[in-house]
Amino acid sequence: MKHHCKNPFWVLILFLICSALPLSAQEEGQEVLPLESKFKEPVTKVWFNTYGNIRISKRLFWVAQTHFRLQETESTPFVGQMAQIYNRHAIGYIYSKKFNVSLGGVLRLNFNTDEDSMDRNLVPEWRIWHQYLFAMPLSSVMTYHRIRIEHRWSQGFEENSEYIFRNRWRYMFRLKVPLNSNKLEPRTFYVAPEAELIMQSGKEVVASPMEDLRLTTTLGYIVTPRLTFAAGLMYSHGQELSNGGIYKQSWTMRFHMYFSPDFRKVKNKLPEIHFTD
Amino acid sequence: MLFALCVCLPLALQGQETLHYAGALQVGKYKGEAGYDYKVVGQDTLLNGPFIMERSNLEALLENEDSSFLFSGTFKDNFPEGFWRFQFGEFQSNSETQVIDYQYRVLISGTQEETSGTLKMGKPDGPWTYTVQQIKDSEVEKTLFKSSIVFEDGIPQRSFRVENENSTLVGRFLRNGLAHDEWSLYATDEVEAVESWFFNNGLLQKIQNRDDNGTKVVQLSIDSTKRKKTINLDTRFLSVLQLQLPANDTLNIFESGMPKLLAENTLYYQKIDDILSELGESAFLPEFKVEVAYFPLDSEEIMQLDSIKVHFEKSKIISESLLDNTQLNILKLSDEEALFLYSVVNSISEKFLGPIKKVVDYHEQDILEFVTRDQLIGKLWPLGKPSKEIEVTDIKLPKSFVLPNAEQFEFDGNTLTSIRQLAQYAAYSLDSVQQLLNDKLTQDQRQQELIALEEELIAQSKGLNSLIDSIGNNVPGIDKDALLQIKALAETSLSTYSAMEEVASKFSYAGELVDCYTQLNLLTKVIAELPAQWEEIQQNYQDGVWNPFTATVMNEEVKRRITAAYSRVLVPYFLNWAQSDLSCDNVDELVVLMQNTYQRMNELRNEDTSKLERKLRKEQDPKMVMQLFNIQNQVKEN
Repeated sequence: MKHHCKNPFWVLILFLICSALPLSAQEEGQEVLPLESKFKEPVTKVWFNTYGNIRISKRLFWVAQTHFRLQETESTPFVGQMAQIYNRHAIGYIYSKKFNVSLGGVLRLNFNTDEDSMDRNLVPEWRIWHQYLFAMPLSSVMTYHRIRIEHRWSQGFEENSEYIFRNRWRYMFRLKVPLNSNKLEPRTFYVAPEAELIMQSGKEVVASPMEDLRLTTTLGYIVTPRLTFAAGLMYSHGQELSNGGIYKQSWTMRFHMYFSPDFRKVKNKLPEIHFTD
Repeated sequence: MLFALCVCLPLALQGQETLHYAGALQVGKYKGEAGYDYKVVGQDTLLNGPFIMERSNLEALLENEDSSFLFSGTFKDNFPEGFWRFQFGEFQSNSETQVIDYQYRVLISGTQEETSGTLKMGKPDGPWTYTVQQIKDSEVEKTLFKSSIVFEDGIPQRSFRVENENSTLVGRFLRNGLAHDEWSLYATDEVEAVESWFFNNGLLQKIQNRDDNGTKVVQLSIDSTKRKKTINLDTRFLSVLQLQLPANDTLNIFESGMPKLLAENTLYYQKIDDILSELGESAFLPEFKVEVAYFPLDSEEIMQLDSIKVHFEKSKIISESLLDNTQLNILKLSDEEALFLYSVVNSISEKFLGPIKKVVDYHEQDILEFVTRDQLIGKLWPLGKPSKEIEVTDIKLPKSFVLPNAEQFEFDGNTLTSIRQLAQYAAYSLDSVQQLLNDKLTQDQRQQELIALEEELIAQSKGLNSLIDSIGNNVPGIDKDALLQIKALAETSLSTYSAMEEVASKFSYAGELVDCYTQLNLLTKVIAELPAQWEEIQQNYQDGVWNPFTATVMNEEVKRRITAAYSRVLVPYFLNWAQSDLSCDNVDELVVLMQNTYQRMNELRNEDTSKLERKLRKEQDPKMVMQLFNIQNQVKEN
């Protein structure tokens, strides 16, 4: 936990959870829990995430996210090679300024980063996800509580491996603190610390319910209300699916682009901010 | 009246045509109860028979005072005929009553007038006495006035006597009513007459007046060969008399003495005549007749008099308007020439118009035909007729006014023609002076206006400077160079103005400068407002946008090409104009442009500007931008 304290770089959590878990998800066979928990050496990762939030009506928006996630290998030590590509979509509903929900699906493409493996190089993973986001202003700071529930079907790289089904239970708490202004507005830098706990359940989950704990800090810059860039560092660790006594760790550099175009006509936009009209 | 008729019907039947009236009646200012007989001939009501009218009010008497009167006598065919009596009383009472012989008696105090005598066909005939007495506690205290005259058919006869508290007049008439022999006025406490008029067959020959300094005799020159005319001894005669007296005579008989007593007598007789004339037909006024020399006006003279009147009235209007002119009265204090002209008017008014007014008045009173023209002119101008050269000496450099065509006027000769010439000369002179003064007054007025303009200019200049200083120090982000330029322009213009010499061009330039300063003042304010307006525009050109990632509404700048064109092209253009091209000729245009630009910026926010924004791309020419913005460079006509 010293990493947590010393390196509080929080990466913005995107809608998909990429964790180290899938790596161990399909491990077969029974493992014996060690007497003490064992932390594996951390791996480094780099994420390039785009988040699209496209307004389609007064209350509905289309969530369109594409994430490129790289992971270090022996031949590519730091930046690593492509590990996953996420293609996440959903339809969101703005209930009020303080609450919105989304429901959609994810297609995740998993690349085999084990250079020694003779298995398949690319397998798909399917998810259905829904999310409940609560936003609350606190002085000049915004606070967010996000509950996300995912139903995932994943499989290993081995030929003819079966899909296994798991549920993920995620809670994230995040702050956005404007740095050079008293509120979040264009041309503002902000810092966003966040913490997310991802629990899982399913037949295959026997001794490792804590899939991942992510501690991230990002530094963002709001270019316009429709475009924001952010970068951050995330530390995470969680139990391996195959053995709950073993904890994997990672350091992730995250680069994000947030965009929210609105192609509606001007006259339809006008009451935009008055959700309760 | 109907009631009265009913009551009187039996009487009317007895007297065939004669009817009787008894009831309220008003005669002139007298209101009272009357009873009289009358008959109706055709449309006319003719008084015929006894007449009585009276009024007395015991209640009013006891309360305060009472005015009573009583008229009684007889009419015959509407003419007062026979014995008549008139009483007028003004009484107060002491409110104490006594009962004597079965009667309540109230003692009264006041005055009582009483007159009685016989009338014949409305004219006094026989002795008439008019008495005014002062009553105290119902007893005669003293006699205030008493006149006793004997008439024959309205014409005073033989001797008469008129007295008041102070003096007594005794005189006599011929049978034809002409004054004759000595008329003497005695003071109550003296034996000798203080004033005597000597008449011969109506002609006044001499007046003798005695006072503390001795006796003074004024002989009136009588030319027996001249025509004579009989006139009444009234105010007109006194005026004629005044004209006939030698110029240096200082007799003071007209305010007091005999004429006053006669006038008092006339007043009382007039009172009775007014009443009788209102009721029927009468000629009660005593006609004291005198003879006077007669110098009739010929048609030529009447024309002259008409002309004199015309000139006089014109002159009077001019002189009064000038003498009462406030501006002139102030100007003459500082302007020597104005003082001179004012004095000329004053002099003409005194030396010409005063005497000429008398001529006009005499003519209206029909007096002129009883004096010789020599006498008239001698009286009007005792020191001789005024000169054509009107000298003014009470100024620093004495000088005189004379009409350029003065030689065309002929003042010589004691004729009405010469008076007409005088009147004409006065009128023309006043006309000429008025023109001179009008020019002067107009010029003075312009000068005054110029001074007022200059004061305004200086006030504006000061105001502008302090405005600029205060704005320069207090408004952050203000363009100080532009303000300095405004200040410099104001100062240059003012020095240009002060270097000017000709009044007319100064006047028009001052007017322009006042406008220019007003505009510069406006421009200063408009420039001072620029920073605040830019803030406001920036605020205005924002839109609330929902940011889903922060779940907040964020303001987004909109129409950035418009705001950019404003702040990067237009405002610098305006400021540059103010700094380098500013002049009094174009400052108003700049002000209007800036004001309209700001207004358009407010309007454009809510207009569909997509096309405009496309065209604005890379547009750096301020004139093009203004054209695209559709900014008017003229004040909108309201």
